Amino acid sequence: MEILKYIGYGLLIIGGIFLFLGALGIYRMPDLYNRLQAGTKASTIGAMSVILGVGFIQPDWLIKTLIIVVFIAVANPLSSHAIGRAAYKAGLKPIMKTKMDAYEKTQNIQETKEVKL
Amino acid sequence: MRKVFVIILLILVGYFLTNTFSLITFGENRIGNTSEEKNVAAYYLNNTKEKTSVANVVTAIVVNYRGFDTLGEVTVLFLATTGLGSILFRRKEDEDQIERISKPSSSLVQTGSRILFPLIALLGIYVFIHGHLTPGGGFQGGAIIATGFLLMLISYKNFKAGHTMLIWVESLAGITFVTIGLWGLLTSGSFLENTLPGGELNNLISGGIIPIIYIAVGFKVAAELTGVLDILLNIKPKK
Repeated sequence: MEILKYIGYGLLIIGGIFLFLGALGIYRMPDLYNRLQAGTKASTIGAMSVILGVGFIQPDWLIKTLIIVVFIAVANPLSSHAIGRAAYKAGLKPIMKTKMDAYEKTQNIQETKEVKL
Repeated sequence: MRKVFVIILLILVGYFLTNTFSLITFGENRIGNTSEEKNVAAYYLNNTKEKTSVANVVTAIVVNYRGFDTLGEVTVLFLATTGLGSILFRRKEDEDQIERISKPSSSLVQTGSRILFPLIALLGIYVFIHGHLTPGGGFQGGAIIATGFLLMLISYKNFKAGHTMLIWVESLAGITFVTIGLWGLLTSGSFLENTLPGGELNNLISGGIIPIIYIAVGFKVAAELTGVLDILLNIKPKK
């Protein structure tokens, strides 16, 4: 059982590093889409590994922590997707050096499809 | 001029706040001596376990010692919902003109919310069923369930919270609360008296009427908040 504990401590350290990098990304990135990217990816893996690490250190809680990890894996990317889409629909243009907007094309295709239906 | 005024106001507020809080010494025991009989907090802490066999003292105070007050709180929420509904409710003949405020959401959000909704509802039900054992209770659990319904309402444009069902759930929950109170009045002489056997401490079925009342409150709050959200999200489009 000692090994499980050390795995747990390792996961805690990894999660802490990812959470710190996510916070740094939110501070450093230029616009909403980049910030969302940094915040979501880093905080998803960070929170997941911190919670799983707690589960390994305290094996009684392992099943509960696994359920929480699954919940975060579903809910976190979904919410960031919704925020990004809402920002795009509200008319926020991404700041980019190379002008490319792949979402606009898919948007047009979707709209034509909806008209056909 | 305005900035100077704001700064003076802030200094005044800060001065009075620090003045007030400096009277309370940090880390002081403000409950007092718990072995004293006259101390109200000490009475609750010492007697809740034996008298009501409920592990969560806060729940025992809210639902049992101050049960009538909780009935009043539920009534306040009911009145707020009624007022909102009477202002914003649309009649049946206008129903085909009603449109949801929110724009159609993406298929990702729709699929995800279909997965998440049962989990959120389960968490809410867990919170109000275990109200007498763990932190949380009827109001919190009901609010969690209402957030689940909010997720469904904003992700599916044609998702309808059935109003007849909501009305039935809410009325039945309210009737349960009042009936338990009246039963206590009939059998032992005071409203909301805990007449059922207490059971064992820390068991799910323990505490007499407390879990039943909290489940009723949970259903009532969930139905009311869902009704409020449904009314607020429906508008009539401009002609």
